[in-house]
Amino acid sequence: MSDKKRIVIIVSEKSLDKAMMPMMLATTGAALGAEVHVFFTFWGLDLLKKKINPKLKGIMAPFTSIMNAMMKKKNIPGFHELRKQAMELGVKFYACSTTMELMGVKKEDLVDGCEVVGASTFLNLALESDTALFIG
Amino acid sequence: MKADKTLDVRAFMCPMPIIKTKKAIEQMEPGQVLEILASDPGAKEDFPAWCKQTGHELLEIIEEGDVIKIYIRKK
Repeated sequence: MSDKKRIVIIVSEKSLDKAMMPMMLATTGAALGAEVHVFFTFWGLDLLKKKINPKLKGIMAPFTSIMNAMMKKKNIPGFHELRKQAMELGVKFYACSTTMELMGVKKEDLVDGCEVVGASTFLNLALESDTALFIG
Repeated sequence: MKADKTLDVRAFMCPMPIIKTKKAIEQMEPGQVLEILASDPGAKEDFPAWCKQTGHELLEIIEEGDVIKIYIRKK
């Protein structure tokens, strides 16, 4: 185990807010010098897809483009920009293998560089982590 | 304060100032001073926190009107 602090994050939802939070925390964690691992499960798995544009939840969904435009105007990076930044900063992304099977998602649907793992792999990292966050 | 390099992150909101700072300081030599110009009100707390975790030395934070100037010496 390296001497770096370790942060693990679990993401189980795919709405825009639940998509942005882990990306902001993961990029910031990596910039703080921590080793960051993010596990995407259930609906969260969609956030690892190459083609994904997270939407606001429920009745707010039609306002997604307004929110994205507001974020752009305020110079807040969008989901894809942050996801790219995270990977460049060395954040590790994991796709839940069971969810992939359940939802019929193929490895080639997901961004390059993510790993397909099960709960044991993730918990093995989590048990030796300094902080665990659940976003769901 | 004399800086070896200036990074202007005004107009950027959290987490971009910290990410841009990390990338900028990686290009510098130990002992060099980086000046950061920020406008995110969170910067006054975020940069000391970043320095605490990364080990770089926070030299000074100066507020000049709308600009927050942060000076960091690379470890």
